[in-house]
Amino acid sequence: MRRNRVLAAVAAGLLLTGALTACSATGEGGPVTVKLLQFQEARADVVKDLIPEFEKAMAKKGRPVKVDLVTDILTDDQFRTKITQQFYSGTAPDVVDMGGSNVTGMAGAGYLLKLDTYLRTWDGWDEYYPSVKKGARQRDGSYYSVPHEASVQSLFYRKDVLQRLGIDTAQPRTWNELIARLKKVRAKTGEAPLVIPAGTAWGGGSWTEGLLPIVAGTGSTLYDEKSGKWKLRSKGLSATFDLYADLVEADLLPVRDLHNPNPWEPTKYEKFPQGTLPVAAQGSWGWKYDWGPEGAAPIKNSREKIGTWDYPALVPGTEPAPISGGGFGYSVNADAAHPDAAVELAKWLSSGKALARQLTAVGAVSPRAGLADTAPYSNEPSLLQAEGKLKSSIQPPLGDGEDRVSQAVQSATAKILAGEADGSQAADAFAEEAEQLLGSTRVAE
Amino acid sequence: MTTVKNPAARPTRRRRERAALPLLLGPSVLLIAVFVIAPAAYGVYLGLTNTQLTGFAARDPQFVGLENFRNLLGSADFLESLGRTGEFVLWSAIIGQTVLGMLAALLLRQKWLRGKGLFGALMLLPMVVPEVVASLTWASVLSSESDGTFNRLLGLFGSGAAAPLQEYPMASVILINVWRGIAFAMIMFQAALEDVPDELIEASRMDGASALQVFRHITLPLIRGPVFLYLLLTTITTVGVFGLVYFLTQGGPGQDTEITSIYIFQSAFKYSQIGLGSAASVILLILLTILGMTYARLAKVEV
Amino acid sequence: MAATTTIEPRTAAGAVGPRRRKPMWAVVQRVLQYVLMVLLALFCVVPFAWVALTAVDADGGPTVGLPAFTLDNFVRFFTDGATPRLFLNSVIVSFAATALNLACGVLGAYALSRYRFRGRRTFMFAILLIRVIPPPATIVALYLLMVRIELDDSYLGLILVEASAALPITLWLLKGTIDAIPYQLEEAAWLDGCSRFGTIRRIILPLVGPGLGAAAMLTFMAVWGDFLTPLVLLQSPDLYPLSIGLFRSFTAFNQVDWGVLAASAVVYMAPPAVLYLFLRRHLMRSSLGGAVKA
Repeated sequence: MRRNRVLAAVAAGLLLTGALTACSATGEGGPVTVKLLQFQEARADVVKDLIPEFEKAMAKKGRPVKVDLVTDILTDDQFRTKITQQFYSGTAPDVVDMGGSNVTGMAGAGYLLKLDTYLRTWDGWDEYYPSVKKGARQRDGSYYSVPHEASVQSLFYRKDVLQRLGIDTAQPRTWNELIARLKKVRAKTGEAPLVIPAGTAWGGGSWTEGLLPIVAGTGSTLYDEKSGKWKLRSKGLSATFDLYADLVEADLLPVRDLHNPNPWEPTKYEKFPQGTLPVAAQGSWGWKYDWGPEGAAPIKNSREKIGTWDYPALVPGTEPAPISGGGFGYSVNADAAHPDAAVELAKWLSSGKALARQLTAVGAVSPRAGLADTAPYSNEPSLLQAEGKLKSSIQPPLGDGEDRVSQAVQSATAKILAGEADGSQAADAFAEEAEQLLGSTRVAE
Repeated sequence: MTTVKNPAARPTRRRRERAALPLLLGPSVLLIAVFVIAPAAYGVYLGLTNTQLTGFAARDPQFVGLENFRNLLGSADFLESLGRTGEFVLWSAIIGQTVLGMLAALLLRQKWLRGKGLFGALMLLPMVVPEVVASLTWASVLSSESDGTFNRLLGLFGSGAAAPLQEYPMASVILINVWRGIAFAMIMFQAALEDVPDELIEASRMDGASALQVFRHITLPLIRGPVFLYLLLTTITTVGVFGLVYFLTQGGPGQDTEITSIYIFQSAFKYSQIGLGSAASVILLILLTILGMTYARLAKVEV
Repeated sequence: MAATTTIEPRTAAGAVGPRRRKPMWAVVQRVLQYVLMVLLALFCVVPFAWVALTAVDADGGPTVGLPAFTLDNFVRFFTDGATPRLFLNSVIVSFAATALNLACGVLGAYALSRYRFRGRRTFMFAILLIRVIPPPATIVALYLLMVRIELDDSYLGLILVEASAALPITLWLLKGTIDAIPYQLEEAAWLDGCSRFGTIRRIILPLVGPGLGAAAMLTFMAVWGDFLTPLVLLQSPDLYPLSIGLFRSFTAFNQVDWGVLAASAVVYMAPPAVLYLFLRRHLMRSSLGGAVKA
């Protein structure tokens, strides 16, 4: 009898802990529930306001949907780790708002719903710019996300600062021309004048906002869409790594700041606004997200003080060009309980006024035509101007394994920053590490 | 090591009592088997596959034999992470913690010393706080801003502000780990020193031996066993340090503080290469086992 | 500072001559040892200055400054947003894991102490060896395993893992304690008609108090302070314990509330620090040294 009591106590203890876990489960009746995950505060805030409108619109159509917004503010790396784990364990939300670079790996693993049939029957899809569609298309030719923003990568410069220093602010034709100007700035201010995301601390940014736009301008193939293989050694890559080494050698990059765990803080949030670091490689969201009135580090009268250059030509035979930088898109979980409602949410958030409000909130360029007159996007001349460039921008093709290449880029550029490698050594280190991470089958000879 | 005094002669058990054994020991065995042993074994298996969490390869993991191990042993990144782990263990655990912990333990042995109680308590503080708090306090001490504690200290010597976590990342995390581990060394050595008779030390001091000579020739040989045991334990603990470093640097800047525990975490979860991460874990375990046996042999500890 | 005190008296002592040299040198040695003690203590304590000061500072930043005294940070910690939940999660997981750990530990240790069965020594030795495995070396496989058995991202899974991880030490500690309890006491209880579980409850439990306390504390502190396991196993913000919450808010660039962060750190470090400092003397002897010496 006493034995039973002890056992009962143990059993009760186990049951109690079991009951605690049950708290997190939810039951629902009536309208279908769609879970939407946002991991950046600005996006979460604007979407939160839009959700009631969506629910109202769906109710009117007689298909009531309840949207459950999950907000978990994370850094890009934390998000990637987390969402990967959630997809793997089957606990991911129904709709995920994330950068295009994440989509490839997730789609490859079969975590995301193929959206082709949904998009084909959606008239909004026809308004998307070809470069955006191309950027969203995965290697198997299908789409796994509804892009709701685009961006243009350029070199942002402080017009007022450069003019005060007597530096030419016209579009530089070549990197050499730009380096000559930067050296003049350095001679006058004594500080590194240019920031390009590089190294491991910047994470994925070292790839998407750092090396990729530069390589894309060289015309060398980095990823061959037909064979699905990466070309890890090319003239363009070598020239790019040499460029990094030259910039570090001439003290033009703020190496110490790039080693900061949050390298964007001392560079984009402090020195660029102060004007001590007048040139920054940056996506078009910088107008709002970084330096807008409600951005991380507001710059007053930013339209007058900041200008943008296209990336100058790095190798002979190329021209300066804006680079398409991609943006976030809504992806739907392949295991979503109500895929139709989930896709409906993704489409609704990517259209009309809802889209305009999100674009304005994060400073993104519209991925589709016909939004120039929709407020509040219509009040954003910088973004509209960037949208104009989108049509002529270069769209770097990307495929499966991009996250691995990104990793190799981060550590190779880190080696240059640390002074451990020159350009060609870094190019070798990159090719070796990327091949090891990708596996030889995904690398072109 | 496993000599246990049996307090009483055990009369033979009545047979029916045997039935209780599974009930008594079962829960413990089950928990340890499922949540400790099974993951270790599963890790060995995963290390032989190309399991990934993303990408096309995630759909159908393949058995790839020793490919992961071949890749790792040929990978500069992994070998460097092992080197950094060695550096981290050597400087922080084997040298820093041991020397300072021994000093603290010797101090606590002095009969005339006042304030030992408070001293002992303060020394324990770094060890008892959660590692996340330990990291957080040091993030402030080593802050690159000019009013960080460390930079103020530098200012006293007329030196300009530094950013230790960016400029000397490895030295910084080593210092922090020394700080955290002094107390454990102190406790271990204190216990060991209790076995050294005071008379022996006093007698040698009378004979004119210096404090250092006494320590070297009398004290140290007497506590050799416990010291080696401590070295074994602190090595294992230090190889397993993750949060302390991850919180502060996440392995950076560059890969300057990417010790193997962080390499494993990053490759498995950040880059979703489960197979590679598991293989790295297995290599780490093998190295630890070798190290453990070496220590045991050196100390002639009965295992 | 230390350097000057070393040199000056030494030359002075040398000049005085051999007769008075010995006591003088002894004084210098004592002074030096006090200096060493103070320096070591400062090294251990100074890093906490920021946490302590910023926690009560109305406008604290990432570095040490004289606080504009307020307890508002603590009020906000216990009332605002997600932080009370973090605290609650830490409490739930730590207490449940400790309870489970002790429940299994007492029964298991009793069996290991009082029964002779084949494989007993092997088992004891095997669980001692488990200590050799550093957590980062098994975390990858543990995660996949937990996904397979659908225990990832849940209280239950975390509790089971934490309780198991500390079980080997608990078993060793409690076995040692039970070994020291005279067997005759149990026999007497049997004669009175107690069952096996009855004796455990009536005889063993009251007498293993110190060992149980030490095991409880070690387990509680290990679970309370763990960072890696919840980092990997948990994805729902609702389940995060304090360690993860602190990490997330520390890495959230540009929106760190330093005051609340420091207050969280104080709340987070308080339980283990207080427990330890109160039971230090007891612990130093019995548990840590004992667990290792055993």
